[in-house]
Amino acid sequence: MFGRIRNKSKSGRNNSEEIVQTGSYGPIPPSADAVKASLNEIFSNCCDFILREIACGKNGAIRILVAYIDGFVSKNELNQDVVRPILDFLANEESPGGSSIYNRLTDCIVVNNDIHEAADMHQAVDGIISGEAVLFIDGETRALVVGVKAPQGRQVQEPDTETSIRGAREGFVENLLTNTALIRKRIKNPNLKLEMMHLGDRTKTNVCICYIKGLANEAIVREVRERLKKIKTDAVLDSGIIEQYISDNRLSLFPTVGSSEKCDKLAGKLLEGRVAIFCDGSPHVLTVPYLFVESIQATDDYFDHAFFATFMRLLRVIALTTSTLLPAMYVALVVYHHTVIPFKLLLTLAASQQGIPFSPFVEAMLMIVAFELLREAGVRMPKPIGQALSIVGAIVLGEASVAAGIASNLMVIVVAITAVCSFIVPPLLRASMLLRFMFLIAANFLGILGIAFVAVAVFVHLCKMRSFGVPYMAPFAPLTVNDLKDAFIVVPIWAMITRPKILRQQENVRGAKGSQRQEVNIQQ
Amino acid sequence: MTAGWRKKAKGMVLLAFLLACLLLLSGCWNYKELTDINVVVGVGLDRTEEGKVLLTVQVAEPGSIQSTSGHGSGGEGPTKPVFVVSHEGETIFGAIREMLATVDKKLFFSTVQVLILSERLARESLEESLDFFQRDHEVDYLMNVLVAKDVSPAEILAMESDMDTIPAVYISETVENTSYRGTGKKTMLIDVIKDMDCKGKQPVIGQITKAGENMVRTEGLAVFKEGKLVGWLDPYETRGYQFAMNDIGSAIVNIPAEEGKMSMEVFRSKAKIGVEFEDGEPACLMVKVRLEANVGGHEGKGKLDAPEKISALEEILEETIRKEIAMALEKAQDEYSSDIFGFGMEVHKYHPQYWKKAQDEWDRIFSRLPADIQVDAKIRRTGIIINPVIKEH
Repeated sequence: MFGRIRNKSKSGRNNSEEIVQTGSYGPIPPSADAVKASLNEIFSNCCDFILREIACGKNGAIRILVAYIDGFVSKNELNQDVVRPILDFLANEESPGGSSIYNRLTDCIVVNNDIHEAADMHQAVDGIISGEAVLFIDGETRALVVGVKAPQGRQVQEPDTETSIRGAREGFVENLLTNTALIRKRIKNPNLKLEMMHLGDRTKTNVCICYIKGLANEAIVREVRERLKKIKTDAVLDSGIIEQYISDNRLSLFPTVGSSEKCDKLAGKLLEGRVAIFCDGSPHVLTVPYLFVESIQATDDYFDHAFFATFMRLLRVIALTTSTLLPAMYVALVVYHHTVIPFKLLLTLAASQQGIPFSPFVEAMLMIVAFELLREAGVRMPKPIGQALSIVGAIVLGEASVAAGIASNLMVIVVAITAVCSFIVPPLLRASMLLRFMFLIAANFLGILGIAFVAVAVFVHLCKMRSFGVPYMAPFAPLTVNDLKDAFIVVPIWAMITRPKILRQQENVRGAKGSQRQEVNIQQ
Repeated sequence: MTAGWRKKAKGMVLLAFLLACLLLLSGCWNYKELTDINVVVGVGLDRTEEGKVLLTVQVAEPGSIQSTSGHGSGGEGPTKPVFVVSHEGETIFGAIREMLATVDKKLFFSTVQVLILSERLARESLEESLDFFQRDHEVDYLMNVLVAKDVSPAEILAMESDMDTIPAVYISETVENTSYRGTGKKTMLIDVIKDMDCKGKQPVIGQITKAGENMVRTEGLAVFKEGKLVGWLDPYETRGYQFAMNDIGSAIVNIPAEEGKMSMEVFRSKAKIGVEFEDGEPACLMVKVRLEANVGGHEGKGKLDAPEKISALEEILEETIRKEIAMALEKAQDEYSSDIFGFGMEVHKYHPQYWKKAQDEWDRIFSRLPADIQVDAKIRRTGIIINPVIKEH
């Protein structure tokens, strides 16, 4: 497995070198006119590219070019921090530019803090396209890159996909630096490392590996780095693309890479010793290794009373099983195992089947497909229409199909319960959706026996899988007794002294010794 | 690397294909939809003059049951909640299969609530008749077994009930009631089979009679000996039998009182039976009952406010129950010579050596033994009031 990855990464590295060469534009020409010509050529047909020439000094002897992309930079800031000081300070300058002016600009004129040097044209262009303003001074072969990026995108707000009752409302946004700042805000520690890299030959997307040094297992961090490096694609538009490239088992229905929009959740994962991958332009941050048990964990569990959290965990397990198995079990009972149905229930079932022209299997398929259609339509539709649609779907379709004698009312209940349960464990929504069909088919052909066959296959698959070297079904298989404290049951947070052992962190105990509660005797 | 991956994928596809074959080629094995079965709720077994089996089944029509409760689920169903079909055959299983010539769907037997045997069949061949019901995998061992007295099973199954849409359910619920009162016994198929196999105990089966146009009565018991019906126990004897068998949940026992009667509500009863031995020979049958009762009603005169009066009542109650037990025991000993109490099992347990040589003639030995019946009754409460509210003269 690992051998294969190493082979792959070799070929990837060769490729990236090629791209650097083709993408280089040579050194910066000393003459402002040449720079102007060169930039205009590079950014030909880019209406948002702005190149402004400032002539200052006595008689306009010093020529400075300001290049940026319109809408990307804060014009206000650019004018206040860069252009105005230049005009003010260099008004009476006599020397005709060159290095001395460049040095004065960096040292005492430009007010902005975020400045760095671009040594060649390639770096200058990189600066421009990533939203910074670049100053070219006539007679100088270096350019000054000034970070005057305008705040882009949405405000930090509560994520729609992951809501919680208890816990922070802040969710990640599309801007990578905002996201990393949100994490820094929660983990004030220089050991929180953020390694930047660029992925995608064309999009040059900023991707950031985040982990806590001294906590995260070095081998996993190294593995993440290697897997990211070997991604060969020209476009990385979302973290979902990275997720598909770095997954251990790319064809599996079950996710081996986690993703979250919630800052507090991600901070928790990092503190458990996991590695996060930020992707610019995506509010979903990836976490690895991702284990099966994480899909039934929610941030609320740790902020709430442990008994309640345990109850919720068990509910989620029940919901997961129900949403995958209920239609299949129903069909199996109704067409094969009449003898196990209690007498009165059998009468009700038989009565509801009366006059239905389809077999229970066809009926179940129809209803489930109808539900999936409605769900998908609800996602794609604009929100106000989506709501109307779900009402039409839920009430009209369900009620009407029963009244018309196409589906039995019990089947409608079964599918409705299945649908409700499927939303309770969002990370496994897709897996349980597809497995539902597999179980249903098996149930129709072999009854409970068929369900058992498929269940065995699914469990074998789950137990075989690994996420970044960590067994997917841990702590159940292999049994890690120590980690069971945060699986089906949740122990109170003060008793959760150790981190998940299976991740093999460098430091396993949370907090220093003596941080546990001590009895204080007030009366002496 | 790609080649390896492709090979692996090929293998996976092949495996998936083979698994799919395994699944799909089994041809739906035992596929039967709920709409393709006839839900049998009651079975009646009778024997004709010519020695053939007369099988009667009561089949529920789920569609019409649902529609009577207010919900039609599309499609026109039959209007009657059940239909009853009879068929004569050489054997029971044969009759069931032959019945398919007249019935639309396959008969499904695990929903049977009551199995009603005719008196003639019970007198001739109980054991033989029940073989099919033990052997078939679909049969529920928890179904009620009853013997019809003075009426044929077909007649009972053909009755319509005003109390439950399904007559068979009505019957099984009355059985539940009477067994709780002590005057009947809920005999499930599994109980009958167990007793049939046991040498130290003879089976009894609940009794069903017609009580009116649309009503049945499930009180009393049918007594068997060596797999054949030998006689009956009336409701009071049945209650005596139930007291001795430690099978009483609650019972109302009427006792005489000053110028009237009192009804005592027995709410807890524990019983133990045994056989006393002397010199290696059984000498006496022991029945010990301890019970607790409340005063349920006092339809007479006299006060209850002194402990002596209560203990006098206790004695009367003990005597009444002792009589009931004695009646049942005497009938089993003298009239039927059938050990329905299971004294033989006690002998088997505590005196296995003796049992070994005596087991074959145990019923005869049992009939000759004297009985010692001890009843210990305690009256706990007199209800909300103590004395009857009557003006003193």
